[in-house]
Amino acid sequence: MFDRRLITNFNWAYLLLVLMICLIGIANMYSATSSWTAAVLPVHLKQFYWVGIGLAIVAIVCLFDYRHLEYFSVPLYGCNLLLLGMVLAFGKTIMGATRWIGLAGLNVQPSEIMKIVIIIALARYFSEKANLRGFSLGELVLPGLILGVPALLIMKQPDLGTALLVLCIGGTMALFAGVRRSAIIFLGMSGVAAVCGGWFLLHDYQKKRILTFLNPEQDPLGAGYHIIQSKIAVGSGGFNGLGFMKGTQSQLSFLPERHTDFAFSVFAEEWGLTGCLLLLAFYCLIVLWGLHIALRSNDRFGMYLAIGVCAMLFWHIVVNLGMVIGLLPVVGVPLPLFSYGGTSMVTTMTGIGLLLNVGMRRFMF
Amino acid sequence: MKELEKGVRFRIKLIGVVFTLCFALVAMRAFDLQVLQEQEWEERAERQHQKVIPLTPQRGTIFDRNGEELAVSVDVDSVYAEPGKIKAVDGATKSLAKVLGISTRSLKAKVKGSRNFVWLKRQITPGQSNQIKQMKLEGVGMIKEHRRFYPNSTIAGHLLGFTGLDPKGLEGLELQYDKMILGRGGYLVMERDAMGRGLGAGSPQVQGATRGHDLYLTLDKNLQYLAERELAEGLRTAQAKAGTVVMMEPSTGKVLALASSPEYNPNAFSRYKPYQWRNRAVCDSFEPGSTFKIFLMAAALNEAVVGTRQKINCENGVFRVGGKDIHDHKKYQKLTPAEIIKYSSNIGSAKIGKMLERKAFHRYLTDFGFGQPTGIDLPGEVNGLLRPPDKWFEVDLAAISFGQGVSVTSVQLTAATAAIANGGYLMEPYIVERIVDSQGQVTRESQPRVVRKVIAQDVAQRVSRMMELTTEDGGTATNARVPGFRVAGKTGTAQKVDPVTGGYSADKRVGSIVGFLPAEAPRIVMLVTIDEPKKGVYGGLTAAPVFSRIAAQAMQYLKVAPSQDQPSGESLPSLEQIFVDAVTPEKASLQHLMVAVPSGGPQMPDFSGLSFRQVLELMEEKQLNIDFRGRGRVVEQSPSPGASIPYGAPVWVRMAPPS
Repeated sequence: MFDRRLITNFNWAYLLLVLMICLIGIANMYSATSSWTAAVLPVHLKQFYWVGIGLAIVAIVCLFDYRHLEYFSVPLYGCNLLLLGMVLAFGKTIMGATRWIGLAGLNVQPSEIMKIVIIIALARYFSEKANLRGFSLGELVLPGLILGVPALLIMKQPDLGTALLVLCIGGTMALFAGVRRSAIIFLGMSGVAAVCGGWFLLHDYQKKRILTFLNPEQDPLGAGYHIIQSKIAVGSGGFNGLGFMKGTQSQLSFLPERHTDFAFSVFAEEWGLTGCLLLLAFYCLIVLWGLHIALRSNDRFGMYLAIGVCAMLFWHIVVNLGMVIGLLPVVGVPLPLFSYGGTSMVTTMTGIGLLLNVGMRRFMF
Repeated sequence: MKELEKGVRFRIKLIGVVFTLCFALVAMRAFDLQVLQEQEWEERAERQHQKVIPLTPQRGTIFDRNGEELAVSVDVDSVYAEPGKIKAVDGATKSLAKVLGISTRSLKAKVKGSRNFVWLKRQITPGQSNQIKQMKLEGVGMIKEHRRFYPNSTIAGHLLGFTGLDPKGLEGLELQYDKMILGRGGYLVMERDAMGRGLGAGSPQVQGATRGHDLYLTLDKNLQYLAERELAEGLRTAQAKAGTVVMMEPSTGKVLALASSPEYNPNAFSRYKPYQWRNRAVCDSFEPGSTFKIFLMAAALNEAVVGTRQKINCENGVFRVGGKDIHDHKKYQKLTPAEIIKYSSNIGSAKIGKMLERKAFHRYLTDFGFGQPTGIDLPGEVNGLLRPPDKWFEVDLAAISFGQGVSVTSVQLTAATAAIANGGYLMEPYIVERIVDSQGQVTRESQPRVVRKVIAQDVAQRVSRMMELTTEDGGTATNARVPGFRVAGKTGTAQKVDPVTGGYSADKRVGSIVGFLPAEAPRIVMLVTIDEPKKGVYGGLTAAPVFSRIAAQAMQYLKVAPSQDQPSGESLPSLEQIFVDAVTPEKASLQHLMVAVPSGGPQMPDFSGLSFRQVLELMEEKQLNIDFRGRGRVVEQSPSPGASIPYGAPVWVRMAPPS
């Protein structure tokens, strides 16, 4: 049953690239958290285990043919929606947000799973319904609902970052599938209206984040603290960086969240522009190579799946980097493969598994 | 359908371009921040770090193999001021200036600025610290920093090296393992910490400091002391310039002692010249002379180019090779290989060298580790000189056969001899046994490493047997005998190359002996070199007695049972007596230091209330030789504080446990 061509077609180089980013991330984490008092299991070691788990996930995802997912997409989507509902009903509240529920002894974050499930669901819909003229407004109602319902549920948690990411992933996929010009114009205008109207629906801390993004110096020790400290870190790195373990911003604990969302700032301070460009090139390669896999996939479902994963990776990377260097407001989005966190690692590796799955089965009918 | 595909393909490429552009935007922004605006952000970083003062880290301890401390970090106080908080500037600076020995004017200048923090003096003495504490000045405080201290002063000084005030390792093991030992100094954070949390009344806090890793050495402090003591004695007797002793465990390559003379005290390294810091056992090479013959013999026997019973004509004392005469120190006729070693015949060696020929000889020498670093974990190791065989003339082959025209380091020679002692295995010498982090976890553990198998076991045993002959009656190393033990050894006396003429110097020589015991199951292999002796030129006269004395005491210390009956009448100094001396090793070196003290004699510091270690430290600083009575903290002292100390007068402190 298991074809040897699958092994020959497996994209080892891609997996190696992914692992390289992970390893740079772990080294960076070691530096970022070195001033912490030693815990039983240091963060960088924990992350090491997470990378291992991630690799296992890639292996499992690659084992079965992705085409089976087409038939499972509806039940998967349904179950995930149910979980999102359950989170709102009786989830665990941590730091003012209700994002987790306990399932079989594990803390599960259904909004994270949704990032993958929405890709599968939309891939099925678009691959079945694709047409030459692109989707009209009417044809977009159903995918709009598929996307909109979970996004709304996530926003209610409240987790604006994840909700926006889910919308971005779905939107990117729709644009790929083709949308009629009239529909784009309509959606664009209603989007602008929604942003203006949505402002009043935002929570206070969310409004504050956007305002401080526009003028961080207004409150340097309060709401603008993250962004300023991050910019100081990146900026003082200079061209060549201060050297491994020598970044004062991180070693002196000025940088907050320096092993998770702001891991890149630590990296930028210690390795400078040269390091940044190298890491950026790696990430760019990860995304473009993913698109290449989409281009060469053997059926339409696989292509949409690959595009969806690329969109997911891309938006995470760009939103995180944009935040760290002060191009975008602070939203809690980790840098895939690089920031500490098991949830992010599991989601990302599942996506990468799907991508490799599509790539290795491109010659099979 | 095809059209549709085409459209999708186009869109994928389009989005690919858009994605790349986004990445380019991020890259441009990074360029903007890191290159165009770099200065601005750096200044901001500096501004916010200004309230953060880096402190000196606490280096890990260096222990010998029995857990004796060889290098420790002691707490010392550094005094600082927060200028804004000082109330009566004039009064405060005046009294501080008196205690610290700085001029009032420079102190005033220091506290004048608008800074939040200024060091007044770093690493002050416990006495100064007590006095300042009693003044209770507002805006003046003290922080614990760390300073390196070597409790055994000169013992193993070359091996340990020393640190600067930063305190980075500058020499020896302190340099070699600096990254591990150093630790992180942490920072003194003033007024508010990074997160903007206020710290109340602005009491400074230390954060981010971690202690460095500890080193456990293979070295034995007592053996090291023995080696240094006997080497110094040997140098004095021979009126020699310098010398080394290397003692290793032949089966593992563990260095048990490594002495180099002239000695120096790492606690006060700046008072010595750089050449005195140099660890001659690894950083200097010398022509080995006759000790080299054992490697020639090992190679020849291993290649079977010479038979054990073969008689070699030693030409009655003079032999012409490549247009030059070679001499023996006595006229010999026909000698067996064993006799060539026993009587150390140059001519016999040259002939065996000729049988072996250049290529094979060179290969064995390389296999024994000559001409390349041994890999010992000490900085500055040199290769020695072993030219490639195609550059050897006829006379070179002969000269190298008896150890001239090549140069080796003491450690190389000892390691190569260890290969004969242990049955043919070249072991990599090492000094650090294990490294333990501040949590007590072992982060690195050294294992004995076989570099290569050089010669067959039976060959090693035959060479070892020949080396035993040298300590028997009529041999060249009879002075190296150790009562009760079978000793295998080989002496050497090499002429030194005169740096001026480039030829061999007429009177400058290096006398040496290398050997191991007990010969039947060697526990130690040892080399003694005596550089430029004025009395008793030969290694058998200068180095061999030193070898004998160290080896005898080492056997006793290591509790090795004698294999032969000990001749009566010979008695050794008891080890207890020796190691009592080791505890106060300052005696010898102190006297000439005392001479340098300005007239009026040194003043007795106030030791009251200090711990053992603090007294040791102060004693080091003032160059005093103090008798300790009791344990705990100092309760009584003589002479009394402030009194001058007459030259040679007894100085003692009485200590009692704090009640």
